[in-house]
Amino acid sequence: MSVLSVSGLGKSFAGFKAVDNVDLELEQGEMLGLIGANGAGKSTLLHLIYGRLHPDRGSIRFNGTDVTLLPVTNRARMGMGLVFQITSVFDGLTVDENLVLGALPKGTVSPPSEPFPPPASVGGGGAEGDGGGWRATDHGAIEKVIDLVGLRSLRGRSAGRLGHGEKQRLEIGMVLLTRPSLLLLDEPTSGMTEAESRHTAGLLQTLRSEGAIAAAIVVEHNIEFIRLVADRVTVMHRGSVLADGPIDQVQDDPAVQASFLGRLH
Amino acid sequence: MPDETAAIKGISRVTAIDGKVLRRAELILLTLLVALPIATDNAFLVDRIGRYLLLAVFALSVDLIWGYGGMFTFGQAAFFGGAGYAVGILSTREAGILPLSLGVTLAAAVTASALLALGISYFTIARRGGLRGVEFAVVTLAVSVALERLANAGGQVTGGQNGILMTYRLGPLHQGRNFYLLAATLLVLTYLGLKHFLRSRPGLIFRGIGQNEERVELLGYDVARVKRWTFVLSGAIAGLAGSLFYLHEGIVSPAAVGVGSSTLVLLWVVLGGRGTLLGPIVGAVVLSYLTARLSGALLDTWLVVVGVILVVVIVLIPAGIFGFLNRERTS
Repeated sequence: MSVLSVSGLGKSFAGFKAVDNVDLELEQGEMLGLIGANGAGKSTLLHLIYGRLHPDRGSIRFNGTDVTLLPVTNRARMGMGLVFQITSVFDGLTVDENLVLGALPKGTVSPPSEPFPPPASVGGGGAEGDGGGWRATDHGAIEKVIDLVGLRSLRGRSAGRLGHGEKQRLEIGMVLLTRPSLLLLDEPTSGMTEAESRHTAGLLQTLRSEGAIAAAIVVEHNIEFIRLVADRVTVMHRGSVLADGPIDQVQDDPAVQASFLGRLH
Repeated sequence: MPDETAAIKGISRVTAIDGKVLRRAELILLTLLVALPIATDNAFLVDRIGRYLLLAVFALSVDLIWGYGGMFTFGQAAFFGGAGYAVGILSTREAGILPLSLGVTLAAAVTASALLALGISYFTIARRGGLRGVEFAVVTLAVSVALERLANAGGQVTGGQNGILMTYRLGPLHQGRNFYLLAATLLVLTYLGLKHFLRSRPGLIFRGIGQNEERVELLGYDVARVKRWTFVLSGAIAGLAGSLFYLHEGIVSPAAVGVGSSTLVLLWVVLGGRGTLLGPIVGAVVLSYLTARLSGALLDTWLVVVGVILVVVIVLIPAGIFGFLNRERTS
């Protein structure tokens, strides 16, 4: 079963087709890069997937459940985790408190048809199952994640005093603690130096090899970054899918080359 | 969940509720609180400060929702003064089971404030976040205006412009030192209770909402539920303080639920420093004391002075006095 299955998705703003008849499939364990020029519809598609926007047409199925019209909170509880383009942590709380906010049980609205297995190595605390109320905080998971994102030495510091890269690692850690079965990253390298981008790519590779990321969609401009983290790319152009496949195959596609004017190389 | 609270506390040492300066200030203020009735024989003064301590509890109820959860309200007097009216109506009117006994009256008044908050929450804090920022403030402002009108127009029930004269007294705790002790105890318990709450899981989520509501939603929390029940808690605290305050006053009149009272409490919180708990306590006591001392001599000029102080504080130290002190040292 696909983790995410988008079909015939469309969204217009005042007649402008931002997303036009898009189909997308994401399998368990897959990491998909969503690329395209500015205005190609990547961000709108991402907003539709996590629920900030609702589509005019088409449907979104997440782990087999139709979530097309569900609010963001429900999708989050069902296992969608979003990492914002502009890092979005709680500045007035400590690193620890931010992570606790990721790890606290959320209760369930509109429970999914079957419980999702947590990513193996982030699990460890058995917080699944009873579907509501305040369950135990998974401190084991917090300890694991704080090492994975490399923030152990800063755990008592308020998040507002972290550097940009540290904030992003914190946000990724916080979102991972929600045990997402699908991680959505919105332009994670925007505003970063090349070194910082490589660092983030390294982090995502590590998280993946540790089994902390079940499946992910990365929206990016930065092709080198996508090459490092994604198995497959979907290229968008004027709201539609232009090409889809392994990155080496896609970048030889003449239509893609025309659209990007060689930016893939 | 006390065990979970301890768990969270254990791993978060530096927070806005735990600044070094705040801890020192806690000690100083507690000492002052205990020392005052010992240091002076002036029972009238002690009694008056006791009143201000109840106003400080009122200010804490605002700091909880505004200082930590970002819910800016112009209607908190609806709960503080509303509880005064509930006490007046339930204890002095004769109809059916009324008047009620003192204990039942107090419990009913606090419940009434909590229910009023719950009622307001249903049309302000709907699912998916509901009203935010200014919208929420405007609705609470409207509630204040409506309640003041209602109190004025309530005829036999509310006593119209004259309000209600209380018949019950707080027994041996009604005045002087004993009243001060009652008020001081309530203040300390409220302060400790709120600190405990803010460290708990719902409290942590609520603080998160105050900083970034969308992020909290996207982590999967039911933002509306946490906001609603914290708002109800805040209403109940204001109600408890208000019912004791107006029993002690001996009268409750329409201004008690009005916009003026709701604005005054915001002033105390702003001056003291929102989101610090201690700041609003000091703001309430000091400003109330100065108002009582100086408004006689300065008359309306005093209001201008308060206005100027407020503008100066907001421009120079927007975090308020305690927010400023705490930030200076810890950063």
